[in-house]
Amino acid sequence: MNDIDEQLSEIIPRLRRFAVSLTRNPSSADDLVQASLERALSSWNDKRPDGDLRAWLFSILYRQFLDAHRRSRRYARMLEFFTGRDDAQPSAERTVIAQTTLQAFDQLNTEQRALLLWVSVEGLTYKEVAEILGVPTGTVMSRLSRARQALRELSDGEISRPSLRRLK
Amino acid sequence: MISMPPSERDLHAYVDHQLSDADRRLVETFLASNAEISEQVRAWQQDAQQLRAALSGALQQPANPELDPALIRQRLKRQSRRHLASAAVLLIAVGIGGISGWQAREMTLVSTQLPMTDALQAYRLIAQQGILPADYKVSDDGDMQHWLDRYFTQANRLPDLAGAGFKPVSGRLLSTEQGPAAMVVYEDSTGHKISFYVRPPGPKNYLLPRGSRSDGELQAEYWSGAGYNYAMVSPSDTPAARMLKQTVQF
Repeated sequence: MNDIDEQLSEIIPRLRRFAVSLTRNPSSADDLVQASLERALSSWNDKRPDGDLRAWLFSILYRQFLDAHRRSRRYARMLEFFTGRDDAQPSAERTVIAQTTLQAFDQLNTEQRALLLWVSVEGLTYKEVAEILGVPTGTVMSRLSRARQALRELSDGEISRPSLRRLK
Repeated sequence: MISMPPSERDLHAYVDHQLSDADRRLVETFLASNAEISEQVRAWQQDAQQLRAALSGALQQPANPELDPALIRQRLKRQSRRHLASAAVLLIAVGIGGISGWQAREMTLVSTQLPMTDALQAYRLIAQQGILPADYKVSDDGDMQHWLDRYFTQANRLPDLAGAGFKPVSGRLLSTEQGPAAMVVYEDSTGHKISFYVRPPGPKNYLLPRGSRSDGELQAEYWSGAGYNYAMVSPSDTPAARMLKQTVQF
């Protein structure tokens, strides 16, 4: 095993975790990781930055996910056009109140999930995240603030509910 | 150095361990005397902590052999070899599709470095190997220009090679990475062939100075004009090739 593969073998579990948090489905998550690794390895020599390898791979994976997501949304709209139904949006019943931090996390939008995972879980710097998203550091900070607030409110749903239900 | 009281951004940076030591101590002193904000910061820290704990399990998935970098690298190498080998086969397969044109992407992918490689490739497939049937065959003289005008209205006129004994006999539409292309085959009475190839310069608007190059047994004369790139291809070292090479302007 060479040096590159050794680095990759440490990062792959992190990529898989990130992919699961985006796709919410382990098997399509691994497809996403595989596609991202293929892209990374085929442009390894000319594209790889000198900085954090992990941040570069996260950014490839994130963009691949967004592309695939956009395609499937287009497909969903087309289906809707033919069937007159919209299966892509969560219905009111399907939106359940968060019971754990993880469930609260799963209800955040894609970018918020990515932001919190990169910063809170993986410990990337604001600058690295800004480079991944292609926005200024200040924008990262205000989006992070909103994401954190949203997570707080969703988690609070769980914390305040038992007290509301308490019988007298 | 941050200013006091800390902004919300500073507080997030504090939670994320992205402040300098001095700034971190400033925030800590501030939080010690501000219970309400301190409470909020603690809640953020707690959320982050819980998220880390909740997601730590996702790192312990059993390994997926499909994600082994060495294997992926091997697969990529195999794919690119097969890619090249299958280019010609693909051209035949979709060529049957007919006039709507086929995807000659691989033709241009094989080598995008040298000008008009796709024109040479098309000559080999159509004029030499006869792999792709013509979309259009000339029955009377003059028809070919009319056929070409249907697709490339503003393009340069077909060169008149009658002086050298060559007449346009058939045409074929192609689709390339740079856009739709057409190739017209000229023939003389002894069956020698010259092709005229026209296509857009592509998204990068890559226009060519008048030039000439040989590739294997073929020679290509190329130029740009009226918003298109052109090539005339013929076997090298023939009277026709010499004639084309000496033609300054087509």
